[in-house]
Amino acid sequence: MSSTQPFPNVHLLAQSKQLLGLYTIIRDKDTIRSDFIFYSDRIIRLLVEEGLNHLPVTPKSITTETKQKFDGCSFLGKICGVSIVRAGESMEQGLRDCCRSVRIGKILIQRDEETALPKLFYEKLPEDIADRYVFLLDPMLATGGSAIMATEVLIQRGVLPERIFFLNLICSKEGVDNYHAKFPNVRIVTGALDAGLDENKYLTPGLGDFGDRYYCI
Amino acid sequence: MNSSGYIPPWTTPYIIGVGGTSGSGKTSVAAKLVSRINTPWTVLISLDNFYKPLSDEERQQAFQNNYDFDKPESIDMDLAYECVLSLKEGKQAKIPTYSFTDHDRIPNKLLTIYGASVIVVEGIYALYDQRLLDLMDLKIYVDADLDICLARRMTRDIIYRGRNLQGCISQWEQFVKPNADRFVRPTMKVADAIIPSISDNSIATEMLLNHIQSRLQLKSQQHLKELQKLGSYAVSIDSLKTIHKLRQTNQVKVLHTKLLDKTTSRDDWVFYFDRLATILLSLALEDIPTEPRNTEVVTPTNRLVENPIFANFDRVTAVNIVRSGDCFMRSLRKTIPSIAVGKLLIQSDSRTGEPQLHCLFIPPKIESYNQVLLMDAQIISGAAIIMAIQVLTDHSVELNKIKVVVYLATETGIRRIVNATNNKVEIYAGEIISDEMIRTNQCNWARKRFVAANYFGCK
Repeated sequence: MSSTQPFPNVHLLAQSKQLLGLYTIIRDKDTIRSDFIFYSDRIIRLLVEEGLNHLPVTPKSITTETKQKFDGCSFLGKICGVSIVRAGESMEQGLRDCCRSVRIGKILIQRDEETALPKLFYEKLPEDIADRYVFLLDPMLATGGSAIMATEVLIQRGVLPERIFFLNLICSKEGVDNYHAKFPNVRIVTGALDAGLDENKYLTPGLGDFGDRYYCI
Repeated sequence: MNSSGYIPPWTTPYIIGVGGTSGSGKTSVAAKLVSRINTPWTVLISLDNFYKPLSDEERQQAFQNNYDFDKPESIDMDLAYECVLSLKEGKQAKIPTYSFTDHDRIPNKLLTIYGASVIVVEGIYALYDQRLLDLMDLKIYVDADLDICLARRMTRDIIYRGRNLQGCISQWEQFVKPNADRFVRPTMKVADAIIPSISDNSIATEMLLNHIQSRLQLKSQQHLKELQKLGSYAVSIDSLKTIHKLRQTNQVKVLHTKLLDKTTSRDDWVFYFDRLATILLSLALEDIPTEPRNTEVVTPTNRLVENPIFANFDRVTAVNIVRSGDCFMRSLRKTIPSIAVGKLLIQSDSRTGEPQLHCLFIPPKIESYNQVLLMDAQIISGAAIIMAIQVLTDHSVELNKIKVVVYLATETGIRRIVNATNNKVEIYAGEIISDEMIRTNQCNWARKRFVAANYFGCK
């Protein structure tokens, strides 16, 4: 799970048969929603765990039940999640399954009908977010427009770029390039790198609209 | 598996034959032995189960008390021999059941016996067939005067089976007594011990029990010695491709620290174990069975998915070792919700430390799955897992389909499994504690069964 050239700072999950099998299920248009949710959640869990692997630790000496000293370690800093409404919220449970009482901020970004550019509609973030490691949650990185805007919000609030982990299920190479041009020090944790975007700026092959499939259609 | 030298106790069961004439009291002697031997999987097999099914004509005779049930040919000795032989070889045996009301075998009612370590074969002709005698380690003849036998038989048949006096006496004179004289009593000659059964035979049975216990003790020492031998071969487990140790990432290290810390609250402990278990299971499932399929996969935007992989989670089953393997249950169900799960109860004898198989529930057709996850939270001596693997191979599961999943293991335990299976099973371990660490007493916790105790909250 090292950085994948030529995409520095991208941590791609090991492409095991299991993972490829999970992706095949969620990409398939004939997959029913209960399965889509279950198998997406499994991938999300793997993404969160991979993200946690990159958090720094500090040595910690503890006493075991046999009264022996054990030199272990514990996490150094505090974390929080920030999800991009609505699709990003689907990843909150996966984060909570690993970090029970994690604080979760929200950002709503929508396309402005007049300018066709992404526009920030709403944000609600932990007050001390500048002191935290942040898991930015959005399942798909296509052009990177909303992710870039969300990351800008985080940096404006004082979060250090090297403390941001952007977790997503699928990204396009174009999206990764756009994103990295802006934030060379933010790490992306993903499970699939797709070839590109179609004329509607959808990922190809992608899996359709993640939010729609996870929430209602 | 046997090629490497591991012989589980049930491939060398101790077989005891108990014969004697009808009404001699052999059944009560056999029952007393079984209840007092006090070893799991002591099995009583009555030759009454092996009565041959009768033809219509014979059945009519039987209903008129006119059929000879006491001649040796009335019992299907070939089948009895096959069953006992099967058990002697450590395989399953299916014992038929016989209905005395219909004088026929009860259809589809077979008693499956597997994993017996002591077998008591009881019946008037238990010591009659040479092939059966050759399988027996101890042959007991229960002797009583025929007058007493008749008295017991009449009491039993008239009071408990509702027969009439006339029928009883005619059967005795016509069939039971002549056969007893001609076929049953001569089997006394082949017996190792003859137990009198007139009034109180408790001293005789006590002596026999002592003898049996000392034999079983020898067997269990042998078993333990073999288990120890398996750990001593010089194999460097680090070089083996079959052993997959969880990558010691920061997160895994943190979780491990939490689980070892005695100040971690129970709530947290269970939570952190589930987390680690989920990571471990995900590792064990990385090479999930896939199936070639010629169907195309298209996304909702009508794009073709190249090289689709059809993972089939239904081709995986799991077998938990009660109770510590059950710690994985929650994470397992979260990973594969509908997985079929079997269970084995293997416990170590508190005196000798010998592992003993107490009961088993195996998913039907387990041999048809592509992968069998064998789960245990801790491996200390490795004995229970080796026994469990033997149970699976006895159920026709191939070794290379078995994946042992364990949170905490000792190097010795792992090495024993590798040796016992010729390195054919895959092992997925959260943490393996080296011999060196154990020898220098730095990790005493790795030799203590603390995982299940903490998870379930019962020491």
